[in-house]
Amino acid sequence: MILLEPNSFVLEETLLARFTSEKPEIVDITLVDFDNVIYHVQTSAEQRTVLNLSVEMKYYDEVRAYGAEDILRREYGDYLVPTVNPQYQFTLQFNLEQLPADKAALAKHVSLIKRNVLASSFVRAFEYWESQQEGAGPLMATHYRDSEAIYVQAQHDRVTVIFSTLFKEEVDRVLGKVFLQEFVDARRQASIQNAPQVFYSSREPPLEIRHLPDLRQDESVGYVSFVLFPRHFANEEAREKTISQIQLFRDYLHYHIKCAKAYMHSRMRMRVKEFLKVINRAKPDRVTAASDKRTATGRYMRPHLRQPTSPQQGESDW
Amino acid sequence: MSNTLRPYLNAVRSTLTAAMCLENFASQIVEKHNVPEVEAGNSQEVLLNPLVVSRNENEQVLIESSINSVRVSIRIKQADDIERILAHQFTRFLMMRAESFIILRRVPIKGYDISFLVTNFHTEQMFKHKLVDFIIEFMEEVDKEISEMKLSLNARARIVAESYLSQFV
Repeated sequence: MILLEPNSFVLEETLLARFTSEKPEIVDITLVDFDNVIYHVQTSAEQRTVLNLSVEMKYYDEVRAYGAEDILRREYGDYLVPTVNPQYQFTLQFNLEQLPADKAALAKHVSLIKRNVLASSFVRAFEYWESQQEGAGPLMATHYRDSEAIYVQAQHDRVTVIFSTLFKEEVDRVLGKVFLQEFVDARRQASIQNAPQVFYSSREPPLEIRHLPDLRQDESVGYVSFVLFPRHFANEEAREKTISQIQLFRDYLHYHIKCAKAYMHSRMRMRVKEFLKVINRAKPDRVTAASDKRTATGRYMRPHLRQPTSPQQGESDW
Repeated sequence: MSNTLRPYLNAVRSTLTAAMCLENFASQIVEKHNVPEVEAGNSQEVLLNPLVVSRNENEQVLIESSINSVRVSIRIKQADDIERILAHQFTRFLMMRAESFIILRRVPIKGYDISFLVTNFHTEQMFKHKLVDFIIEFMEEVDKEISEMKLSLNARARIVAESYLSQFV
């Protein structure tokens, strides 16, 4: 599985199990998703047939400014209810007796909730581009993780998406540089010439966001910019696909860095085993098949197993 | 480049075989103690001159010898960032398992990447030529392993970038 999926598979499975179960049981499950999003699936205290899904998304206030609430209402309007617990940002409520016929599709749709909410700044940028206004659109920042953010800015012929990402360890930093260099160079290949252009800088933020006050500029931070061209978001289908893919970039990169580290570990482990074999050859008192000596009639003499015997029994003396 | 590898390894092999003539030597300073003299460094008369065999300034082997012990320190070739962290991770991995390697030192000598300590007890219990074989094979394998890991890392990066970007097309 090289590519990450935009929906939350575990949420989809949990909801589907609840929707299609014969008898409504009482559940209280907490699930997590990428980027510190927490889902809380709980049966309502009053009625056993009502299921509440509360979502905690710390950056919800930021994306609300970019129209996240409209998107939520449009996609899940039937199920939105006001939130009771202040820890969670929004809540959906499902009446298990009044679900639409296609429960699997509903579960899948709900599992895309994080993707849809995070899409708000992208949608607004694409709308700005459609409106054909001159000059650059507003710079929209979403701090979806501690110390990491996505910046989106639309212009009349392109949309720029900038990721600031943190590499906590030295090894991650070097591996990240190798991976990102490949991203930048990938366009040389004929098959993906039309992919978005990628730029990478390891400490300096790109020009578009340099004026922002709270930027980190030390060794551990990297800035990756994607330039999306109209062909990536001109029609509806391409737009949806682009949004789903681009949101997951940071998680995709870090996931593959970790996979690379795990692979190197398993290689080193294998090499260590080989070295141990070599050093064990240096020890002279080893029991190998050759040290079991055999007579012509087939009797075995095993010097390493030989017990001290009395003279009468000494058949295998040599 | 590999036409200097064979003479380099042969030089190290013959130096090590000559240096590994070890005999038991009780400590002159403390009664009833037996320490590897090359580590203690107290009695000057039992220490021999250290020798450096170098292929170029990035690859060297330091061999310090004494009457009852030999210390071999290796500097591995590290051309760029990636090779540096790969070598560092690999040697740290090995040094954490120093106990099972018997002759490996847990901490390398300053200026080198990995160190071995062979005492007279080791040469009494194990074959000397096999120990030398191990060190030589180690030097060869480490270089090979690091360049293989670097290659696989670059291939992986290329595939990752390609599969991500081809989704947009």
